[in-house]
Amino acid sequence: MNLLMAIASRVARTLLLMLFAAAGTILQVRFAPGFFSDPREMDGRYAQAARIEMQEQSSRQEFAGRSAVNQVEGWFRGDFGESRQYGVPVSDLICARLRVSGSLLVRGLAQGWLLALCAAFPVSGLRGGGTLWGAPFTILLAIPTAAMATACILSQTGGPILVLTLLIASREFKFLHRLLTQAWRAPHVLQGRAQGLSVFSLVRRHILPNVAPQLGALAALSIVTALGALVPIEAIFTVPGVGQLAWSAVMNRDLPVVAAVSLLMALLVRVTGLVTTRTLALEGA
Amino acid sequence: MKTRLSSVLLLLLILGSSLVLRASRYDYKTQDRDAILAPATAQHWTGTDDLGRDRAVRVAAALLIGLTGAGLAAALTTAIAAAFGLLAAFSRPSSGSALMFLSEMFLSLPWFFLLMMVRSQLPLTASPAETAVATFLILAGLGWPACARAIYRGALELRSAEWMIQGRMCGLRTGQLIRRHLLPHLRFLLLPQFLVCMPAFLVAEANLGALGLGVGEPLPSWGSLLLELDNSALLARSGWVYLPIALLVLVLLILESFSAEEHINV
Repeated sequence: MNLLMAIASRVARTLLLMLFAAAGTILQVRFAPGFFSDPREMDGRYAQAARIEMQEQSSRQEFAGRSAVNQVEGWFRGDFGESRQYGVPVSDLICARLRVSGSLLVRGLAQGWLLALCAAFPVSGLRGGGTLWGAPFTILLAIPTAAMATACILSQTGGPILVLTLLIASREFKFLHRLLTQAWRAPHVLQGRAQGLSVFSLVRRHILPNVAPQLGALAALSIVTALGALVPIEAIFTVPGVGQLAWSAVMNRDLPVVAAVSLLMALLVRVTGLVTTRTLALEGA
Repeated sequence: MKTRLSSVLLLLLILGSSLVLRASRYDYKTQDRDAILAPATAQHWTGTDDLGRDRAVRVAAALLIGLTGAGLAAALTTAIAAAFGLLAAFSRPSSGSALMFLSEMFLSLPWFFLLMMVRSQLPLTASPAETAVATFLILAGLGWPACARAIYRGALELRSAEWMIQGRMCGLRTGQLIRRHLLPHLRFLLLPQFLVCMPAFLVAEANLGALGLGVGEPLPSWGSLLLELDNSALLARSGWVYLPIALLVLVLLILESFSAEEHINV
């Protein structure tokens, strides 16, 4: 019963946080200067008609809180509104782009983790020279994502997946290296080594089970990192994904799209947060 | 030893940049129309950009602006985090939970996404100086929640420490207890937060600038200088175009070595 209550409370908190984050986004965009600007203002033929329409629109949306409530009510009915910029339903826009971003995220994360693990495992077993072996990752960590993406475009090598892979690998290597070094130096692992256990069996039986909860938490956090990196990567490589949609919507004050993308991002972050907390709780137990 | 070397390098970079700004007869926005996209000459040591502006001066100014802005923003965000965390720890449990819920709300969106969203909603007519101040203020304003949560937990533990109870029994007010006893104990959280924020803010400004949302032209910044890399014609003419990114990586490596050293010391 207590467990059920705890799960229900955690889920309710997550939903509430998501709603607050999305509602905060709506209010922020709604109050932004130029929210009611319309491209038709620039056209002399339509200026008068556009102005009248805009006045009607602004009188309808005078109360910002009301527009936020309307938007949230729409979500509960499954209606995410229509994009101001593209004139199509937001759900259609996002669904079409989710696959692209999802594929980029999954491939970037998988390759990044593989690279970080392949580098961190052998380096963590060394007695010295960790700084030297980790130097490429330290340098990669110091290169802004945008600069990395531009370098890829200029050299015509790699693409968004490579940039995301390098970003994830450089971030996770540091943590993995520290974590695995500690695991290799644990007394029971030293005892196992002294007794002549093979490296494979030490890793499989003693190191991996010990570091698994932390690895889970780290993996969840790297999803959040990758989500944040999606925007510059997709915008610079013009990948038709959710990150590029978010950037274009934010630049054009496309409120329904910004709100829906915020809700989606908040959902992903909160769910990964739930996984992290759960993993750490397991570790604590 | 490593920290000392990093400090000397950083100091040399700052002194060198100040010297370049002082010695050059150009400022960051002066356009030399006779030397557009010029290679390195006696007049322009590292060449000029596509508007004929001296690259060395612009890079030097960007370095100083970036370090000053990121330093101040990191100090501000650390102060906000400390104030918020301590307020939550020393208020009623319900108020503390509400404040932590607020900080969690900020953490519900990926940081860069939130940053881009807030920065892009600023008026488009802002002056370059205003955009610089706004960019770094936004960085400071959005960087505190994670640290505030750590400080809240740290302060909650310390609140029930014996020396805190003793201090309260001796009649010290909460403000005095926090200033004289608690803050020195929280140094191990506050200093790393400051040192981690500095490079993070520099990278964030560079990424925002590359999306056209950073410091406005003609004020030089890492972001606007990185945009030069998009100009393939410029890249073919001069290798000095890579100077900003090389210097930025060097500065970030130096700053990250400080935070790594602090982490080891803790």
